[in-house]
Amino acid sequence: MLKLIAKRMGLMVVMLLGLAVITFTIANVAPGDPARLAAGPDANQAMVEQIRVERGFDRPLPVRFVLYVDQLLHGDFGSSVYTGRPVARDIAQFLPATVELVLFSISIAIVLGVPLGVIAAVRQNKPIDHAIRLLSVSGVALPMFWLGLMLQWYLALDLGLFPLGGRLGIFTDVPEPITGMISIDALLRGQFAVAGEALWHMVLPATALSFPALAAIIRVNRAEMLEVLGRDYVTNARAQGIGPWRIIAVYSLKNAILPTLAMIGLRFGWMLGGTVLVEGVFDFPGLGLYAAKAAVSSDFEPIMAVTLTLGAAFMLINLVIDLLYAVLDPRVRNQI
Amino acid sequence: MDSLLDIRNLSLVFDTFDGTYHAIDDVSLSLKPGEALGLVGETGCGKSVLTRAAFGLVPSPPARITQGSVKLDGMELLGLTDRALRQVRGRQVAMIFQDPMTYLNPVFKVGTQLVDAIRAQHGGAIDRKAAREIALDMLEKVHLPNPLRQFNSYPHELSGGMRQRILIAMALAARPKLLIADEPTTALDVTIQAQILDLMAELVDDMNLSMIMISHDLGVVAQVCSRVAVMYAGKIVEDAPIREIFETPVHPYTKGLLGALPHPFRPADDLESIPGNLPDLLDPPPGCRFAGRCTFRRPECDAPIPLAEIAPRHSVACVLRPGAVTPAVAATKDLNHA
Repeated sequence: MLKLIAKRMGLMVVMLLGLAVITFTIANVAPGDPARLAAGPDANQAMVEQIRVERGFDRPLPVRFVLYVDQLLHGDFGSSVYTGRPVARDIAQFLPATVELVLFSISIAIVLGVPLGVIAAVRQNKPIDHAIRLLSVSGVALPMFWLGLMLQWYLALDLGLFPLGGRLGIFTDVPEPITGMISIDALLRGQFAVAGEALWHMVLPATALSFPALAAIIRVNRAEMLEVLGRDYVTNARAQGIGPWRIIAVYSLKNAILPTLAMIGLRFGWMLGGTVLVEGVFDFPGLGLYAAKAAVSSDFEPIMAVTLTLGAAFMLINLVIDLLYAVLDPRVRNQI
Repeated sequence: MDSLLDIRNLSLVFDTFDGTYHAIDDVSLSLKPGEALGLVGETGCGKSVLTRAAFGLVPSPPARITQGSVKLDGMELLGLTDRALRQVRGRQVAMIFQDPMTYLNPVFKVGTQLVDAIRAQHGGAIDRKAAREIALDMLEKVHLPNPLRQFNSYPHELSGGMRQRILIAMALAARPKLLIADEPTTALDVTIQAQILDLMAELVDDMNLSMIMISHDLGVVAQVCSRVAVMYAGKIVEDAPIREIFETPVHPYTKGLLGALPHPFRPADDLESIPGNLPDLLDPPPGCRFAGRCTFRRPECDAPIPLAEIAPRHSVACVLRPGAVTPAVAATKDLNHA
């Protein structure tokens, strides 16, 4: 097990390097002059050229890449050309918000998606199955930002049930950060009202963000359950007189959950990268919004840092999923 | 003596997209306590469906039982709730299946599955520790080399023969009255097959079990069973003691099956095959279902032929049987009586 983790961590470094090459190239061949951006709109040509040389924008790409990787290895993500703030500090500020939102969303998708998939499979072609299918098809079909806007419009603006956006009400103090995730920090510090308020602020964005993942989880889990319920070992369990609840929730689900788990891992990664639309709609100060602003202004260092951070997160999640596979399936366990 | 299992006029259809598939048609079969019956026929003839349907193991829909009754020890099983059927399955009737590779759940330890099954067989009335004792005891009874080790193994760590022994242990832990063995040795190689058959014969004797052994191999059935019912396309065509099946078979299909058995003193290219295929059960012929492949076919074969006794304990459904009368003739006889 430890050997596997070490091996995968080593692979991760290689993959991150590859990711860095690709992002670095794309960011640099994209139109936009970083030197002019950094100099500002009022600067004259001489000042722009001076900044270009100062920041090394005039050197050939490969050289700049090597320098950039060297900088990364020293733990330095650089700073924003635009605001001058260190990128590491920005990420430390924005990443927890996104992770909090994504964790909340994926939890909703799992907690609802797995049981709904099971119910749909057990009641195949019954009305409840059709109802669940309607839900999952709309999850695939509805654009996330549109759903977010509609939720915001009806539930927040018209009915006033939920806040319009943000992470907390403007009069609430943010708890002293531990993880940077407000709801968890508040819980850790015993400020339950603040935790509730933070969760309350996340309900609408998380609903919008989790909907496509929910749809995917329902569909995969339903299909897997259907297959497993037809397997011989389920027939045998039934022939032994084991009750339907145990057959479905334990004997079948433990087999069916394996492919669903892979889907959950993928969706988790997608969500991390896909928060930008939802964060935009709900004015949620997360990494997606930060990355979008950086991309629009060709702010090179933040783009690189966000991409590498999300890439690493994605790989870590998949490693965790693979380890969970081994925990659940003895056949996988023996191979590692 | 009263029958342990009594299936009367059972018919079962599958509602499919293409129409109604008549899988089991008016089948009657009874089994006395302590009797070991072989149910023989080619793939798709309905042997497995018959025994599974009797104990509510065929999913409905698509399956639908259209007529008949199934009595176990005098108790009607058809129409019982799933809950009541669960009491019957496992406790009174145990089943073992063809492919031991796929009948154990791959992600649970053998021991967990045994304990769960044994607890279910007792209706949850015993705790895990007692169930574990029974499980280990049963593993010993089926001659597993190292019961404790096999108890703690996952299925993929064991061989096919070991898994079949475990399934047998699981099935017999409840000391059932009836064992349904659905091609228990088909997936095993020949030496293991012989060991498993020996084991089953031993357990049937020891535990005073009745057994229905489903097989397409008359040779396998002959090692364990005293009586054979031959099935063809959803109907029983001949039912007789094993000696009579081998010595004086009557139905052409039974003869065909015997001709297809390999024999040590006969070259393999002498093996006879039965030409043709099963009839289309979406639209089965009204008369004998074997008629389309039968070399003795005559016009009477197109009318329904019931199973009838030609000797004590020997029944056949064929116009060739001694003293057989066609329904047309029987009908005129009835008229004369009136």
